[in-house]
Amino acid sequence: MSAAGPGGYVEAAAQAIREEPHVRASVTAATRTFDGNRRAAWADIDAAAWRDWARDAKRHALTHLDRYLEEAEARLESHGAKVYWAEDDAEANDILRRIVERHGVRRVVKAKSMLTEELEVNRHLEARGVQVRETDLGEYIIQLLGQPPSHIVGPAIHLGLEDCRRLFAQRLGTPADASPEVLAAAARAALRADFLAADLGISGANFLAADTGTLALIENEGNIRLSTSAPRVHVAFVGIEKVVPRLEDLSGFLQLTSRSATGQPIGNYVSMIHGPRTPRDPDGPEALYVVLVDNGRTRLLADDTAWEALRCVRCGACLNICPVYRQTGGHAYGFTYSGPIGAILAPGLLGLREGMPLPFASSLCGACTDVCPVRIPIPDILLYWRERAVEAGLTGRVERAAMKAYGRAATHPGAFAAAGSLLRFIPWEQGGRALPVLGGWVEERSGPETSPVPFHTLWKRGIE
Amino acid sequence: MSARERILARIRDALEDRPKAAHPGRFRGERPTPPLPPAEGFAQLFTKAGGEVVRVPDEAGAAAWLRDFTTGVDGVSVGAGVDPGLVAAGALAPPESAEVGISLARGGVAETGSLLLDSRDGRRTQLLPPTHVVVLDAASIHATLVETLTDLRQDLPTAVGLHSGPSKSADIGQILVKGVHGPGRVIALIVDAAPSPP
Repeated sequence: MSAAGPGGYVEAAAQAIREEPHVRASVTAATRTFDGNRRAAWADIDAAAWRDWARDAKRHALTHLDRYLEEAEARLESHGAKVYWAEDDAEANDILRRIVERHGVRRVVKAKSMLTEELEVNRHLEARGVQVRETDLGEYIIQLLGQPPSHIVGPAIHLGLEDCRRLFAQRLGTPADASPEVLAAAARAALRADFLAADLGISGANFLAADTGTLALIENEGNIRLSTSAPRVHVAFVGIEKVVPRLEDLSGFLQLTSRSATGQPIGNYVSMIHGPRTPRDPDGPEALYVVLVDNGRTRLLADDTAWEALRCVRCGACLNICPVYRQTGGHAYGFTYSGPIGAILAPGLLGLREGMPLPFASSLCGACTDVCPVRIPIPDILLYWRERAVEAGLTGRVERAAMKAYGRAATHPGAFAAAGSLLRFIPWEQGGRALPVLGGWVEERSGPETSPVPFHTLWKRGIE
Repeated sequence: MSARERILARIRDALEDRPKAAHPGRFRGERPTPPLPPAEGFAQLFTKAGGEVVRVPDEAGAAAWLRDFTTGVDGVSVGAGVDPGLVAAGALAPPESAEVGISLARGGVAETGSLLLDSRDGRRTQLLPPTHVVVLDAASIHATLVETLTDLRQDLPTAVGLHSGPSKSADIGQILVKGVHGPGRVIALIVDAAPSPP
């Protein structure tokens, strides 16, 4: 299911907080668990050194991207895979349509992939009468509900056990008070039949090692291994930024991504795939297609500041720690990628105007960059997009005037002190609604509590 | 111009004035504590992830354990590297209907607690039966993943899987359940003194 677009963020977020308080509770609990696991897993390693390595390896890969993509393509084709390139969602879906026709595909099983969400692969296949089944348990749940994922790693973290019980009772006939084990067993049985009947398996990829042409995928359930092994055809959609130079580089990336996403030393299952089945393999797909997808990535690469966002390994650590994301979960963002990483990817992948107002959906607290395994300077890029938006006249007139006035005051110490003193006399208990600019700002927020003494006075006196 | 040429041209344009970054070299995997010996390190992590470890002194011990384990089991499927004669009489079955799958690992990884499984041994046996037994030669356990990958490069199969515990998911109300799609029970049968290849 397609997302609504970032433009509706403010309303969607307000609505989520007002009407779905249980979502905040579910998302906050799940993300706290994820983040606690990451923290413990980082304590077992020299995380600073690993993150430096990962940042540098990705920087190297991205600054030699053309070379490594060509190398990966040549290696994959030497193993009998067929490589396609797609500029955007329309081309990617057209390539898939031709594969579907060539192989007479009627049933598809899908492994979890954010890129295929971006491309809306399911909608295109279903429109052609092809049956598509999401096989990751979380993706399966939200597919039954007709919802998009709300988190990169845990697509259904906005739902609680009761939501799943109701859904499974209705769709799979499980008892109303079934345990999670019973629910999972029912899904396993339903999906096992789908795996064995499917003609085509669709996956994404976490990484593509150039020098061996290795597609690498991380997961916990086994559905990716099955989707890429059981059907007679496998199609992998791979964002062009996923390429890394060497097979050995996967060692650092697979471990650091797993530790950052779920706190495991490595995902339960890692698949490394080089080509279609050979006569020496007793089973496996007869055909492997790899579709290298741009869909806005070269535009982001061309930006001298925001290109660093392309290092992202999609671990979700920045979502898990973000105080803003935790309030609403991912749906409010209206974009495949939510949270801090979504807020910096949206203007880059979709365009500056189309990505608004997501770069403003942050308190700039910087927690995201502290947990990023590839050290993306997320707050810097958020500020950069905000400046670009103000320059382009994409922000509200009032907000623009306020930023300008603040800029003037902040660069003139006398004016700043005077304005600061004035703020102390505002009746904040009424929420500051009487004010011309802040009045609009506090409609969705609570006003600050001011200190009785200005900071610069305290500073002069010496803070006790 | 094809999509390929257009994408590559845009990448080259984008990178024209960007300084090239150097590769940081082979991943070193720095840790504050020294590693355990490979077999112990593997066993510790594999068990922590919910897997089971059985250690036998030699091949005869492995054969005896497998025959005992498969006795009375309704359907056992075996990988290409596993001698079907090791399975209790009459139990052999295709992976789609087997209760137990038995595979031969290509190696192990101590650093991550992983079994390295080769597609030439058969992927269905590795994935479909609810219980998976993997025979692992203790001498084939690498200390690190980076060493495992360098070794893999010498003989690159169609696909490999790293299996590091039973299948699991927390997608239903964030409560952990086992055996969602892959095997819910996985046993590493470590053979301490496997015969050297002829």
